[in-house]
Amino acid sequence: MHEMSIAAEILDQVIEQAKVNNLVRVSEVTLEVGFLKQVVPELMIIAFESITTDTIVERARLKIVEVPSIAKCNECSYSFEPKINNFLCPKCERADVNVISGNDIILKAIFGEVKE
Amino acid sequence: MANISVVTKKRILDTNDQEAAKTREAFKEAGLFAVNLISSPGSGKTTLLEKTIEKLNPEQNSAVIVGDLETSRDAERVAPFAKEVVQINTGLSCHLYANQIQESLKGLNLSEIDFCFIENVGNMVCPGEFDLGENAKIILLSTPEGDDKVAKYPTIFRAADLVLLTKCDLLKVLDFNMDRVKEDIYKLNSNVKIIELSSLSGQGMEEWLSWLKDNRTSFIGAKAKFVTE
Repeated sequence: MHEMSIAAEILDQVIEQAKVNNLVRVSEVTLEVGFLKQVVPELMIIAFESITTDTIVERARLKIVEVPSIAKCNECSYSFEPKINNFLCPKCERADVNVISGNDIILKAIFGEVKE
Repeated sequence: MANISVVTKKRILDTNDQEAAKTREAFKEAGLFAVNLISSPGSGKTTLLEKTIEKLNPEQNSAVIVGDLETSRDAERVAPFAKEVVQINTGLSCHLYANQIQESLKGLNLSEIDFCFIENVGNMVCPGEFDLGENAKIILLSTPEGDDKVAKYPTIFRAADLVLLTKCDLLKVLDFNMDRVKEDIYKLNSNVKIIELSSLSGQGMEEWLSWLKDNRTSFIGAKAKFVTE
């Protein structure tokens, strides 16, 4: 259940961003989650809801945008979308790749009320 | 009150990665080779460490950092062999964090250490997501766990720098398809080295020890080159 560790760090980042931008309440958080990160969106939302209680992020909606994975073959440079248990390049039939997308979790945006 | 939207590009887990980078730098500075041992509970990590460190002694000194939810039993087991041992009790956390390794380094005299073995919490999922500053991730799969585990827990095997198939002395009594395991690993990580090993019979131990020594040498060689430049 590494969703809890991730949720804790998201909360830290959201609060920091809220402070910098004078937000007094956050109502929506958009998160980009790479396919390879093994994050279960439903669990992520539960973890996020439980960890944000009694903060300015309480009851904020967590929007998760899933990012597909793209791998680039180190031998022939062909780019393809790997499956979770198959990274074989369709051309070389070897799994020697550089993952160029789908391996990150990024806090994309926060939405909320600003102090006037 | 007005509502505004703030666009960020903050990478989550950056904090952990930054801590890990500090640790990696400290290891490099000390000229030691650090490995992160990851597997399910009961795959033979601690037994392998006992045997490995015993064989590396007395020429090479080892430090062990052990993560478990509870108890210091693993630390007590490796203590007779290792130069330095730190036990981290993670409580409810299913993996080690980079800052826990940073903390444990404070009590260690790194300059006297050649190998640092980080024994992660027994878990095939979460430890793969958290860089600890190691030089190599080593995944252990014990044969009694079954030949379907690579396909079931692919991500951890994709991250591996070395796969150790442990308890190979039991193969004669198990229905374990070695070809299937190797094929599943090949589909994820075609270059990764696989060693069939038994801490009990000694099978594969020489190959494993050579891997450790060779990788330490190439690591230190790289450091020497860096200094000259």
